[in-house]
Amino acid sequence: MMSSEEGVTIEFMSGEKLSGKDFEQKLDLVLEKVTENSVIVLDETWTPDEKRELIQQSMEQVDEDFPGVEFMGLDSGESRFDKVRNMFYEKILNETYRNGITIVGNSRVMEKIKEERDTVSFLAKLEDQAEE
Amino acid sequence: MIGRLKNLLNSFFGNTEKEDVSIGIYGPPNAGKSTLANEISKDLTGEEMSNISEVPHETRAVEKKEKVTIESEDGRSLDLNLLDMPGISTNVDFKDFTEHGMEEEDAKGRAKEATKGIVEAIKYLDDVDACLVIFDSTEDPYTQVNVTIIGNLEAKDIPILILANKTDLEDSDPSRVRDAFPQHPVLEISAKEGDNIDKLYEEIIERLS
Repeated sequence: MMSSEEGVTIEFMSGEKLSGKDFEQKLDLVLEKVTENSVIVLDETWTPDEKRELIQQSMEQVDEDFPGVEFMGLDSGESRFDKVRNMFYEKILNETYRNGITIVGNSRVMEKIKEERDTVSFLAKLEDQAEE
Repeated sequence: MIGRLKNLLNSFFGNTEKEDVSIGIYGPPNAGKSTLANEISKDLTGEEMSNISEVPHETRAVEKKEKVTIESEDGRSLDLNLLDMPGISTNVDFKDFTEHGMEEEDAKGRAKEATKGIVEAIKYLDDVDACLVIFDSTEDPYTQVNVTIIGNLEAKDIPILILANKTDLEDSDPSRVRDAFPQHPVLEISAKEGDNIDKLYEEIIERLS
């Protein structure tokens, strides 16, 4: 993505596009783009088990050119209401409540990650900075 | 202290029917997992169990102290497996090791071993019976990696005790750990100095049994 021009590609994926894919397909897509130095913004949250799969699979792909990922998220929260709502979706509707966002990027292009419960930020490094 | 620890741990795991109880020590790199593992291992066996280094990812495979037999004064016994986990992170860049003075080839080898260790630690999330999750209290613990570890343990109903380590350092701020994970008990310790290790055993009983 950065081979011909300086910069970082930030790609947004809508919930509508994501809803048609199973998690394995989403993870493959994200890792493919991230290894090309893109930062992906997903219009959905991932479950702890899915995030665990992201960590595991990204670690299995680490080599001299790909050091792994950074990821951030704005999740649905930990309040009692949030938990009841999540349980309602899971048990009654048989689906995962996914309101929120997930950001995944190559760790060579994301730094100064700052996460709070309601705010996330990072500095995207340009190509020449990332290769220093 | 050993007798007291035996009693406390027996109370902690008194309801389990398993013969072996595995306690995993999880946390990010350089949080003090191996230092804590050594402190506990010395208490139980008189021996250390892990190497310690300032360079991240010193522990690159799960270090086990198996079949540590604990006997209580009332005759109950427990075989404890203490598991010192590699620090879980989402990236391992060999260049980080060369910055610590390592040769490039050594750094690449260390990075490869570290990634395998992280995968191994992640897989062990399915096998541990209880967890001590340890954070460096001089740093902000609210990261997706830490949230992911704790979220997975919560989903499996695995008992968790969070430890705010390195309270001996001037920049220590355990309140950040409490604020990041308000749903769990947090104990302030210094594994290096042995501060509050006695309290750690008490908290295991009070909070998790």
